[in-house]
Amino acid sequence: MEEQDKFCDYLSGVNPVWCPGCGYYGILGALVEAFVDLKLPSKELALISGIGCASRLPYFVKSYGFHSIHGRALPIAQGVKIANPNLTVVAVGGDGDGLAIGGGHFPHAARNNADLTYILFNNAIYGMTKGQFSPTTTLLSSTKTSPFGLTGDALNPSALAIVYGASFVARGFSVRKEQLKDLIMQGIRHPGFAFIEILSSCSSFNTTDMNVAHLLKAIDTVPADHDPEDPVAALRLAGNDSKIHLGVLRRSPRPSLEDRFQEIQERARRGKSQDIDSLVRQFA
Amino acid sequence: MMHDFTLRVAGESGEGVITVGETVARIAAREGLQLVTFRTFPAEIKGGACMMQLRLSDQKISYHGEKVDCLVALNQVALDENFPDLKEQGVLLCEADCDVIEDGLTATVYKVPFERIAVREIGSRISKNIVVLGVLAELLGIPKPRIEEFLAEKFAKKSEAILDHNMQALEKGIRFARENFSKRERFGFPRGKPERHLLMTGNEAIALGSAAAGVKCFFGYPITPASEIMEWLAVHLPKLGGKVLQTEDEISAICAVAGASWAGEKAMTATSGPGVSLMSEALGLLSIAEIPAVIVDSQRGGPSTGLPTKTEQSDLMLAIHGSHGDAPRVVIAPTSVSECITMMGAAFYFAEKYQIPVIVLVDQALSARVETVKPGIVEQISQSSRLRAQAPAEGNFARYKLANSPVSPAAIPGTDGCEHMVTGMEHDEFGNFACDDETHTAMTVKRFRKLEEIENDPLTQNLCESIGEGKADIGVVTWGSSAGPVEEAIQESRRLGISVRGLVPKILNPLPHAQMKKFFSEVNRVIVPELNFTGQLASQIRATYCVPTISLTKIKGVPLEPSEIVAKIIEAADGLQQRSVRRYGRAG
Repeated sequence: MEEQDKFCDYLSGVNPVWCPGCGYYGILGALVEAFVDLKLPSKELALISGIGCASRLPYFVKSYGFHSIHGRALPIAQGVKIANPNLTVVAVGGDGDGLAIGGGHFPHAARNNADLTYILFNNAIYGMTKGQFSPTTTLLSSTKTSPFGLTGDALNPSALAIVYGASFVARGFSVRKEQLKDLIMQGIRHPGFAFIEILSSCSSFNTTDMNVAHLLKAIDTVPADHDPEDPVAALRLAGNDSKIHLGVLRRSPRPSLEDRFQEIQERARRGKSQDIDSLVRQFA
Repeated sequence: MMHDFTLRVAGESGEGVITVGETVARIAAREGLQLVTFRTFPAEIKGGACMMQLRLSDQKISYHGEKVDCLVALNQVALDENFPDLKEQGVLLCEADCDVIEDGLTATVYKVPFERIAVREIGSRISKNIVVLGVLAELLGIPKPRIEEFLAEKFAKKSEAILDHNMQALEKGIRFARENFSKRERFGFPRGKPERHLLMTGNEAIALGSAAAGVKCFFGYPITPASEIMEWLAVHLPKLGGKVLQTEDEISAICAVAGASWAGEKAMTATSGPGVSLMSEALGLLSIAEIPAVIVDSQRGGPSTGLPTKTEQSDLMLAIHGSHGDAPRVVIAPTSVSECITMMGAAFYFAEKYQIPVIVLVDQALSARVETVKPGIVEQISQSSRLRAQAPAEGNFARYKLANSPVSPAAIPGTDGCEHMVTGMEHDEFGNFACDDETHTAMTVKRFRKLEEIENDPLTQNLCESIGEGKADIGVVTWGSSAGPVEEAIQESRRLGISVRGLVPKILNPLPHAQMKKFFSEVNRVIVPELNFTGQLASQIRATYCVPTISLTKIKGVPLEPSEIVAKIIEAADGLQQRSVRRYGRAG
C-alpha cells in the first residue's frame, strides 16, 4: 500500500459541488486533516451519509463511501460497524437529514453506542432543496416554506445527543478548523458513539441563523473545569441560550455495541462450540 | 388401520389446546409420520378462541385437511364453531356440560368431564389438557410410554410434583377412555416409516435455513406473524458467531442490512407487509447500489394494519414492484415448511451471486404451521458467495464496470486499493453520481439484465413444480402456501375424470418463462387460485403472457380449501365442454 501521509493522499479527485463560501469546505478540511494525523488508512475508512449538501462529502474523500437515502446514514453506519468492527466508521449529514427525516434513528444510535462517529453539519436550513426551514432554524423570519414565520421552535442537536445518552458529545464551528480537527480526532478515538455538532453558515440560504460574524461573538470555549462525566453540567452548557460553548461537552465511556455482542455470543455459547447440526437436532 | 387421520383440538386460548396438538404432532413425527398442521390465533394476548388441526399420514401430504375425523371441543363456543367441520362418521369429544344437538346426528359423541377429572381427581385445573391427551392417546392408539417420554422432556426443568400431576392426568384420561369408549371408535395410530422426522414451524424453518445458508447479521423489528424468525435467531445465531439487532423500526432494519451486506457479511431481515411498505425506499437503494440482501415477508391480511393475525397472499405486487423507479429484485415463494429451509439457501444464493435484493414471500399460515421435515434437508441448501474484485493495476476501481456480465466484481471495505463510492444516485462505473441519459440507460439495462441471467440460472430451473404432464383441459397456476390445497384439488378432480394439471412457480420475479410458456401452450383454460382480492398472480400472468385467466380469490384470513378449488375446476371444465359443443354446433 502506498504511504498516506499528506492531505492530498486522502482526496478522491472528485471536486466538491458546494457553493462558493460554504462552511462545509472548512469541515472537509478539518476532517481530512484529522484522518492524516490519525494515520488512518483510507481502505479502512467507511464514510456513510444520507441526503443533502453535507451528505455529498463521501464523494470527495478517498475511502469506502456510501451515499444512501435521506435520513438513514446512522442505521447503515451501524450495520457496517456490526458486520466489520475493524473499520473506522464515520457518518456525516445535515440538520434536516439527521434531525427531521432521520430524527428517529438518532436516539437509538446513541443508546446502542456502536463505535462510530456521527458528524452533524448544522447550517439551520435545507440547502440542497434551496432554502426551506430545517428543525434548527431559529432566527430567519421567512424561508421558502415559512414565508410568514416559522411554525415551530428549534431543536438543539448537542442537547439532544446528551439526553439520548451519547457517550461523547462535542460542538465545533466550521471556521475554527484547528479546534474542529481536534474534536473530530477525539470523537474517532472515543470507543463508542461519538456525536459532533458543527455549526456552519449556508452562504446561499442562511447567513442569519449562522451568521459567522455574530457567531464569533457568541461562542465561548467549554470551561476548563467542566466535568464531561456530569450529564447535568453537560446539558447546562449545551442548552445555554446566551453563549454557544464549543468543545467536548460530554464524555462518559461505557461498553460499546461491539462489546455487548461479544458478551452475548459468549453467553449464548456457554463455553460450548455449536454448529448447524446441533441446531437441527433440537427439532427431532 | 387408518393411514390418514385429521384431528382438531379447539378451546379458549390458555386451555392448553396447543400443548395437546404439539404433543401429538411431536410423537407422530418421531414415529416417522408425515404431518401438516394449521392453527388459528386470537387477536387478543390472553383468552379468545383458538384451535389446532393436525393431519397425520404415512404418505406425502401437503394440506392440513378439510373435514376432521376427530374433534375435541373444550367448551360450547369451540363446539358450535367447529362442529360443522366434523366428518359425518367422525368422533366428537367434548366437555361434559356441552349441549350437542342430537337431531340427525351421525357422528359418535363422547362427553368427557375433562375439567372435573382434572380438578377433583388430580387437584389441578391446568392439568385438564393432559387429561385430554390421555383420552386421545387411547382413542388414537398412541403408546403411553411415548407420551410419558415426551412429557418428561417437556417438564424436565419443572418440579417433580408438576411432572407427577401430569403423569397422573395422563393415566386418568387413558382410563376414562378405556372404560367408556367402545372398541369400534378407535383409530389405529398410523405406523409410518421408521425414520424420525423433524418437526418445526415455517418461521423456525426460515430461521434455521438462514443460519445454514450462512447469515451473519440479522436486523429486524417485531411484527406478527414474522417475529418468531428474529426470536429464534436471537437465541441461536450468536452461538454461530452471528449478531442479531432489534432495531427501532423496519427502515432502520433494512438500512442496517444494506450496511452490513456492503461491509461483506450475509445479512437479512424478516417482517410482514407493513414492514415491507416502510422498507420500500431502501429496496430501491439496494437495487441501484447493487447490494445483496434477503427480506422475508410473512404476509398477513392488509392493507394498513389489516388482519394482523390472519393469512393472506396480498403482497405479491408490493414485493415485485414496491419502491419508486425501475428497481429490479428477485421474489421467491416457498410452498411448504421444508421449502422454507431450502428457499432461504436459494435467497442468499441469488442475492450474493447477482448482488440484488431478494424477497421471500411466505404467509401467516405457512409461518405458523407445524410440519414434518426430512432430517437431511439442511445439507441440500445452496451455498453462495459474492464475486470479489482485485485492486486495479492502475487508476480507480470500477465498482459498476459495464462488461459482458451484468454482475460486477465487488470489493468490500477494507480491501486494499479498491476504495470507491456506492450510492443511491445514478452513477458511472466508478460509483460517482452521473445523471446523463446515456449513463442512466446503460446502468438500468445492466441492473435488469441480472433478471435475465437469473431466469437462466440452473437453480431457477428447479423453482417451478409441475403437477402432471402433457396436454390438459384445465391448468391451475398458484403460488406459495396455496400450492398444498391446489395439489389435493387436482388429485380429487382427476378422480372425477377431469383433465387437469397444475404449475407452481416458486420464483415469481423473474417468472420461470420457459416452463410457464410451455404450460400455457398445453392447457386450454387457466385457473389462478390465490389468497387476495384482486388476483395478483393472475394479473402478472395476463400482463406477461397475454393469457386469459380465471381467478379464484379468497380473503377470509384462512387458507384455500381443496373443495373450493375443485368446484372452480368443475365449473371451468363444464364451461369448456359447453364451448366446444357450441363450436361444434356452429361448424356443423
